[in-house]
This record gives sequence, structure tokens and C-alpha cells, in this order.
Amino acid sequence: MRPWLVNRVTITFATIALVVLLWNLYVAQHDDGILAGTVTGPDGSPVPGAKVVLSERTIVSLDPIAETVTDDQGNFRFTGHDRHRVVLTASKPGVGQSRRLEVRLYFRNQNRELAEPLQLAP
Amino acid sequence: MHRYPRWPIHAALILVSVAMLLPFYWVLKTSLTGENIFAYPPSLLPQGIQPFFYVDAWYAIPFARFFLNSVLVAAMVIVANLIFNAAAGYALTKQFRGKTAILFVLLSCMMIPFQATIIPAYLITAELGLLNSYLGLALPAFSHIICIFIFKANFDAIPPSLIQAARIDGVPEWKILLRVMLPLAKPAIATNVILSFIWSWNDFLWPLIIIRDVQMQTMPLGLSTFLAYFEDTTGALYAFCVMVLVPGLLIFLLAQNQFIQGLTSGARKG
Repeated sequence: MRPWLVNRVTITFATIALVVLLWNLYVAQHDDGILAGTVTGPDGSPVPGAKVVLSERTIVSLDPIAETVTDDQGNFRFTGHDRHRVVLTASKPGVGQSRRLEVRLYFRNQNRELAEPLQLAP
Repeated sequence: MHRYPRWPIHAALILVSVAMLLPFYWVLKTSLTGENIFAYPPSLLPQGIQPFFYVDAWYAIPFARFFLNSVLVAAMVIVANLIFNAAAGYALTKQFRGKTAILFVLLSCMMIPFQATIIPAYLITAELGLLNSYLGLALPAFSHIICIFIFKANFDAIPPSLIQAARIDGVPEWKILLRVMLPLAKPAIATNVILSFIWSWNDFLWPLIIIRDVQMQTMPLGLSTFLAYFEDTTGALYAFCVMVLVPGLLIFLLAQNQFIQGLTSGARKG
């Protein structure tokens, strides 16, 4: 192997370049802006027809950017949100309202399936 | 066999190292936790580590653009410093009339702070039409006198017989510098690279004066922009500080052996 190929400077910068490349490949595969999850009631059962609001968290405010309604299984799904720091809230008249759930992403548009459901409380 | 125990020296060095590294540790810790830096009592160990402040810092300002600007300017400064300083250092190893006067002028110029020459530098840059440009950013840092002396000290340590042998073989002066002197002055090259990179990377005043376009700002200017917009986001601010610091640290760590040799070369005889 040629010495200029195996010195620490070349190896360090080549490693950085490789990590950046792999990261960008990962981002390209996961940047559809899909944010999905479930809304449950106080008893833990799925709540269909709940309104879910996606808001952008800024330094001083919370600006709604999209909203949707849960399907028959209590699932919701946003696409193309183009943010890296969002807040989700869910509500349904007669059932209750969820607490604010802040979702922080590693990059804008990152696809994310929420592990924890948004639980409505009276 | 040492005449006295070494552990007191090592203990003192460890203490000094800890004291020197503590601020860096604190910046890194705060960038990962976002905790209030004025909290009392301060927590030594980080709690609630998460990387999202780096994401905030990345998107809060055009980080990639500022980074690219700083890299481009630093690259121009490093290349120019290597060329001009090596040539000047090599010239100063020769004997010629007025050499003492030139050395005296160079040493005198080292005592003039950049702030004192910034208005003429600005006027010259404006006259050349280089305001708000990469070349204008890099131009005043194209040569540092201290780096010229580092090259001179390294070249002085090279046996003159090597140069004489090259001359007898008919090698021109620029080739002697390129093929004989520079390969033997790697510590000086590393020192020049590190010093010129760090000075260029950290420079705030000159870019502040000549840059008008946000897209042309360098990292230190970006930091001031960041401070202006986001006074309350401690974690993101410290994350940005780490992102500004890392390239300089990386360059230093990669070339630290040569850097130390370069600074101490010529410091002793024999």
C-alpha cells in the first residue's frame, strides 16, 4: 500500500467522507416526512375520528402546520412535514385531549413511527 | 534511573491538563444536555444526553454554507502561507546585503497589531474590488511573519552541504526549496498549516468588516448571528460552539507531533 494512502490524515478524512456519504444515503432513504402513530382513549383502546394537530415548535411559539383525523384503528399519518422539531396534540369531543408530545428528529422530513400512542384524557 | 521521583511532575501535569480540558468538557456536556450553565450546584456528570441540539444548530442558520466559506478561506490561507512563508524563510537563510534590516523590519512589524492596520487593509481590499469575496477574506492572512521565522529556523537546521550538493548538480533555487528543503522541514509545514488554519478559522474582526452578504459569512460570524437570534437556547448555542471547534482540534491532533517539533526546531544548538 502506498504510504500516502495509509497515513492518519488520509484515513481520518476518508473516514469522515465515508460517514458523511453513508449518512446522506440514509437520509435520502428516510426523508419522506412521514410521521405516524396511534391515538388511544383513557382506557388504552384506539380512538377513531380524533383530530391530530401537527405544530411546529419555534423559540417563542407553537404554530399549527397540519392536521388530520384518525382512521378506524385510531391511526394517524402525516406526510411531507419538512420539520425537525414538531409537537403533536390529539383531541376528540366527548373523549378528551392528549398532552403535547414533542417529537424531535435527526433531520428534516425524517420518517418516524411513534412508539408511544397519544393518549386522550378527559 | 532518575535522581528524583517523577510522580509529582506527572501529578502536576495531570492537574493542569484537567484544568485546561475542563472548559472543553463543559462545552461538550452542555451541548448534549442543554442544562442551565448557571445552575448551582453544577452537575459534573451529564444527565439526559441527547444529540438534538446539534440538529437545532444545524438548521437554525445556514451552517453548511458558513462551514464551506470557512473551509474555502482556510484552504486559500494555508496554501498561500506555505508558498510565501517557505519562500521568504528560504531567502532569509541566505547572506545578502540588507538582510539584517529586513529581519529588523519583519520583527518590528510583528509588534504592530492587526487592529492598527485594519483601515489601510480595508481601503486596499476595496481598491482591489475584493470586498465581500473569498479572496478578500483570505488576502490579509496570506503570510504571517512568525511562520516565516518558523520556516527560517527549520531551514537553518538543514546542513548546507545538501544545498551545495544540489547546486553542484545544477538544480535551480526553486527546485532546491521544493525538493530538498521542504521535504526536510515537515515540522515547519505542519506548524504553518495549523497556525494559519486556526488563525483563519477563528478570525472574526476582518470578516465582520468586509463581508456584507449573509451567504458569505464564516463560522465566527455565524456564531454572532446565532447569538443575536437565539439567546435562550443554551444547548444549541453550545452545540454550534462544538461544531466550530472540532475542525481546528482535528487538524491540531493530526499534526501535533510535527507542530511541537516545528515550534522547538532551532531552539537549541548542537
